[in-house]
Amino acid sequence: MAEKRQLRSSQSKILTYRSGWMGISAVPGAGKTYTLSRLAADILLRGEIAPDQEILIVTLVNSAVDNFSARIATFLQEANVLPGMGYTVRTLHGLAHDIVRQRPEAVGLAEDFSIIDESEATRILEEIAAAWMRSNFHLITGYLSPDLSEQKLEDVRRNNLPRLVQNIGLQTIRYAKDQELSPEALRLELDRLPMPLPLAEMGWAIYADYQRALRYRGAVDFDDLIRLALLALKLDPALVKRLRYQWPYILEDEAQDSSRLQEEILRHLAGAEGNWVRVGDPNQAIYETFTTASPDYLINFRRTPGVISRELHESGRSTLSIIRLANHLIEWSNRLPPEDLLSKGLAYPLIRPTSPDDPRPNPPDQPEKITLHSQAFSPAEELQKVAKSIARWLQEPENQGRTVAVLSSNNKRGFDMVDELRRQGVDVVDSLLRSTQATRAAASALSDLLNWLAEPDSPSLLSKAYQAWRTRGDLSKEEKMQIPRVARQLQALRRVEDFLAPQPGSGWPQESLAREDPGLYAELIRFRDLLQRWQSAATLPPDQLTLTLAQDLFTEPSDLAVAHKLSSLIRQSASIHPDWHIKQFSAEVAVIARNQRRFIGFSDEDTRFDPDRYPGKVVVATIHKAKGLEWDRVYLLAANNYDFPSNEYDPYIAEWWYLRDQLNLEAEALAQLKAALSKNEYDFYQEGEASRQDRREYVRERLRLLFVGITRARRELVITWNTGRNGNLTPARAFQELIAFWNKSHG
Amino acid sequence: MVKLTPAQHHLLNQPFEKRIFLEGPAGSGKTTVGVVRMLQLLHAGVPGDQMLVLVPQRALGIPYLRALASPEAPPGGQVSVLTAGGLARRMVDLFWPLIARQAGFAHPERPPVFLTLETAQYYMAHLVRPLLEEGFFESISIDRNRLYSQILDNLNKAALTGFPIEEISERLSAAWNGESSQRRVFADAQHCAMLFRRYCLEHNLLDFSLQVEVFRNFLHPSFLCRAYLHDSVRHLIADNIEEDTPFAHDILREWLPELDSALLIFDQDAGYRRFLGADPESAIRLAAACHETLLFTNSLVTRPGMETLGEALGNVLLIYSPHHSQPTPPQKNDWKEILNFPPQSLRFYPQMLDWVADEVARLVESGTRPGEIAILAPILSDALRFSLANRLDVRGIPYRSHRPSRSLADEPAARCLLTLARLAHPKWNQPIEPEEVIHALFIAIDGLDLVRARLLGSIVFRKHSRQLSSFTQIKPEMQERITYSVGNRYETLRTWLSDYAAQPEMELDLFFSRLFGEVLSQPGFGFHTDLDAGRVTANLIESAQKFRQAVENAGGMEGTSPGCEYLAMVRDGVIASTYVSSWQPPVEDAVFIAPAYTFLLYNRPVEHQFWLDAGSNAWFERLYQPLTHPYVLSRGWEPGRLWTAAEEYQTNRETLFRLTLGLLRRCREKVHLAFSELSEGGFEQRGMLLRSIYQIQIQETRHG
Repeated sequence: MAEKRQLRSSQSKILTYRSGWMGISAVPGAGKTYTLSRLAADILLRGEIAPDQEILIVTLVNSAVDNFSARIATFLQEANVLPGMGYTVRTLHGLAHDIVRQRPEAVGLAEDFSIIDESEATRILEEIAAAWMRSNFHLITGYLSPDLSEQKLEDVRRNNLPRLVQNIGLQTIRYAKDQELSPEALRLELDRLPMPLPLAEMGWAIYADYQRALRYRGAVDFDDLIRLALLALKLDPALVKRLRYQWPYILEDEAQDSSRLQEEILRHLAGAEGNWVRVGDPNQAIYETFTTASPDYLINFRRTPGVISRELHESGRSTLSIIRLANHLIEWSNRLPPEDLLSKGLAYPLIRPTSPDDPRPNPPDQPEKITLHSQAFSPAEELQKVAKSIARWLQEPENQGRTVAVLSSNNKRGFDMVDELRRQGVDVVDSLLRSTQATRAAASALSDLLNWLAEPDSPSLLSKAYQAWRTRGDLSKEEKMQIPRVARQLQALRRVEDFLAPQPGSGWPQESLAREDPGLYAELIRFRDLLQRWQSAATLPPDQLTLTLAQDLFTEPSDLAVAHKLSSLIRQSASIHPDWHIKQFSAEVAVIARNQRRFIGFSDEDTRFDPDRYPGKVVVATIHKAKGLEWDRVYLLAANNYDFPSNEYDPYIAEWWYLRDQLNLEAEALAQLKAALSKNEYDFYQEGEASRQDRREYVRERLRLLFVGITRARRELVITWNTGRNGNLTPARAFQELIAFWNKSHG
Repeated sequence: MVKLTPAQHHLLNQPFEKRIFLEGPAGSGKTTVGVVRMLQLLHAGVPGDQMLVLVPQRALGIPYLRALASPEAPPGGQVSVLTAGGLARRMVDLFWPLIARQAGFAHPERPPVFLTLETAQYYMAHLVRPLLEEGFFESISIDRNRLYSQILDNLNKAALTGFPIEEISERLSAAWNGESSQRRVFADAQHCAMLFRRYCLEHNLLDFSLQVEVFRNFLHPSFLCRAYLHDSVRHLIADNIEEDTPFAHDILREWLPELDSALLIFDQDAGYRRFLGADPESAIRLAAACHETLLFTNSLVTRPGMETLGEALGNVLLIYSPHHSQPTPPQKNDWKEILNFPPQSLRFYPQMLDWVADEVARLVESGTRPGEIAILAPILSDALRFSLANRLDVRGIPYRSHRPSRSLADEPAARCLLTLARLAHPKWNQPIEPEEVIHALFIAIDGLDLVRARLLGSIVFRKHSRQLSSFTQIKPEMQERITYSVGNRYETLRTWLSDYAAQPEMELDLFFSRLFGEVLSQPGFGFHTDLDAGRVTANLIESAQKFRQAVENAGGMEGTSPGCEYLAMVRDGVIASTYVSSWQPPVEDAVFIAPAYTFLLYNRPVEHQFWLDAGSNAWFERLYQPLTHPYVLSRGWEPGRLWTAAEEYQTNRETLFRLTLGLLRRCREKVHLAFSELSEGGFEQRGMLLRSIYQIQIQETRHG
């Protein structure tokens, strides 16, 4: 919770802001969300905006939206002002949606245009990529390694290439949209060049089909939304004028991850005379690969004449030892020779610890709480060691009330860690890896009910439906104990119809059961009454069926809200797939329940993750998801040369073994597109160059990822590495450097 | 007998031979006086068949029809209550042989075929679908059925506004300041409109636009038609002329001098049907063609606070201009008494629905009649209606709801009939899924539960043959599980379907009718006691029948039967998704759930209104349509002027003001503002309606 507290001098200086453009460079833990929220509240409380105006706050991810709103609301409540009005917090997608909604027709959309989510987009791309592969396989064979045997080639064709083609299509689509190019416009550019660009052609073909598929559905994807928002602003000066009135102040958080389009949209909205505050940390730019996002936008903005430049370089988050490690990485990368791929991967300034009289000083330093494991572990050993260490740590009395997290650089490793921790009986919070437990549980319960309605003669599905319904809400011990007994009774039914709609003489209701176990009997009858209600709802349109079931399943407002959102998702799916039946809708919901698809729900966990709410448990997350969060103790996994590569010899995630010459075809496809779009006659495409360039960008981004991971820790830090599946990985260079630095300074 | 005000008496004391223009806000007693004037004329011996009551849509004619059906109405000829479109159609039908050739129809010797919205969509789909394959409308994202309806809408707007259909694209393009590729889309829409018009002329098809154009261009100017109208209509009452179109106003303008008496009624600050071509500016000009204008000023309905809030909203919404001085706060405090908010901020959408249901229950418990409560939403989706209905059911509150269009294809009874129709016509090769058969059996056979329906359906239906096998062929053990009584009923249905399939094919509407009459409505079958299913069947029969008549009269579609074509169109969502059910005047004392605009046009004040989802932008935004434009294609639009976001915003504010004022003027006691922080989709929402109210509150706080 944001309590009103004393400010540091660097924060106070920012709060003197009155108007114009301001760029703030912040280090991890400098309190930029706090400062920005406080700035918003101050502007409102000074009465600088009219009642029909709002401060616009733009953040990177959904989870930050509620965090900002809550902090500003608290400041306003403290000042006895009605919270909730006078400001709006949006992600870029949310903002783009707001802008496009002003006049959808102006950018060629119907009033009820729908936005397909990543899952539907992937489904469309899969189909298109598969179709492309069927008729164009020969076009890609030239990129395959010549050493592949016939059988390997067949394997690759079946198992690997569809995914690769899909990825190339996806990157082309993103890039073209970022460049504001329709398939038609891109076609013209490709036709202009005399040289063949096979990967760009492949990307274009997929892009054209993909857009056609979206049009057929009357839909746009998230990238379209941003492109169209900018288009709407470019086309209509009156819209820009009105929005500038509506949002006289723009505060932008996480500006280091700003993309070209984001910057352009905000530039239009702010106007040269407007009020625009951008805050970010270039060292935390970790969303750059294959996007046009770049910390350079923030860096250049701060250098623009007339822009007020401010710094938030003091951080009270971590101990001095942790700060020293993070700072050493910055200094080291700046000392490396320019030809080194890691050179200047991190930028100055260094993180400054707070002064002793700071309102939120650094925790007392404990160098002994830093552990950098140089020892080689296999992947499984690494997980076991970490899990054991956490189990021990959690049991120590001094750690009561403290928080701990394990951070990995990818989801897969995170899930493996979760499994290992559970095996060792450790209480795990994994909601940052997946849709939160509450959301998943709600989706899962609905899916179980829908499943039974799709196959009502199945006793096992009936039994699952019962458990889904009964295990919700507060239950007494007796009620809990009864659940498995009832579930077993249902599972053992030979004929479900005899239970649901008994005929005379069919055995139900069993008079004997009523006598012997009246509790069980009453529970079965109660459930049967519900089933009869549900079966009569089965003929309703699927979204209404979902709402009906939800009424009987849920009592928590957030669960009911999830059901409403699921029902609108189902309504949308039903309009896209009119041939679907309950079975398919149930599968759709089950995917959310099983978490193959992230679905933002409504519980606090979903929108406002607060690590301090989980003392005594361990949070497992990716480093990306951990951005903006902090824990007392942090474990960083897999600090090896695969997760954090540093030179041309390290294995690299996007260079597939079945391709020749270490080519990264996604990067090559983009390079071909860039060549086609370049107006410079000396720009031409050279195979392999893009793969090398992409590797350089990637290793620098991974260095920043490591930096972000380290700076999540307040008091204690543990870093480990593993030798990989084939046992041939080595510690990451940056990790080796940290070990050397630490050993030197601490003997 | 209604007690009349002095102003109403004053109007009714005017001599009959006068042409009067009556103006006033909603709730000032204008329609009441219109109805009394009609009865007055009848009592004075004017034959009913010499009178015409003209209304912009059928719902607004209900008070007149009710009065005519009441015992107070004197006997005599039947007074016609018509819309301008209805009048046009009637005249075209009557004078068809005289004008068909002149109007350019290829077969004047054959009767005209009047198209409904559905059948017009069908023909449009037939013509446009091949063009879509060629790349028409490539650059826009729009559902196909909306695309068809918007091309038709352009034709209607041209006809109602009175410009040549050749100019549609030119007008839209000239006002366009969006992406330039959109101009190509307008050209595509123009091409399709012309294609459709040519097709109609070749096949004697008259969609709404052609009915209007033929009447306007060929019939109305003709001596015969004018003489006929002159003889048959001597007295006219036109109510809610602000909701009518320039087409209606043009006719009235020419007509007025020739009438013995006329009463034109104009509702101030209204014009809710602009979206459908309403033009209040052209309506008010009709005052000049009348002998006298009378004004009603006092509301007979609302409390003073409603008017204060209306004024305050006007201050907030109409004075908008960036950097303008702030609006003045409300002069009086009485507006606060008429507003009710949730006691604490509600975070989730379902919580808001619960609050509404609880408040309604509280009001009913404390003595408010359910019929005096209206729950109004900017857009009423089926799911929202369903959610509300469920909550009111639980609390034992009667409710009724009305939407001008409902999706017939979504009705379980209709889906059952459509599946059985496909089973009965295997030659049509229409795909049938096992799940559809299971559901059809579940609905069709009384006493069949879902489990047995699934057992039965999965055994007797084979997807490849698209036919049902006999119950007698099922293993005895399974027969016993399904039960013999169900088996007998199933056999009756199956035998009926297979006997039917063995005979020559019959029209689909007759098929539905016979299936309903001979099987489904009989004891032992699902529709036997289900009145709602009966109503749905009647609608489906009507829809299929109109479709058949339109297709047959136009010479049919090559190679396919109308029934087969109908089923395919339902599957594609072209028809039966927008089926306009007949207006049923609600009579019961029940809470009314409706879209806000429907409530306005229903024009019956209530004590309590709930404004649902007040934070939603849907209260403020018009329905965007990429292929058409209600303002640019209106008569008042200056050719060549650009439609920009400034116009959009200003228009939306004006519309929101008119909407809220209209609602306030139809509310006697209290407006309950229901809103949640997060929308149904989980997004934070603070739309213009809520912001305007907040602005009024803030203004007052700042001014102490």
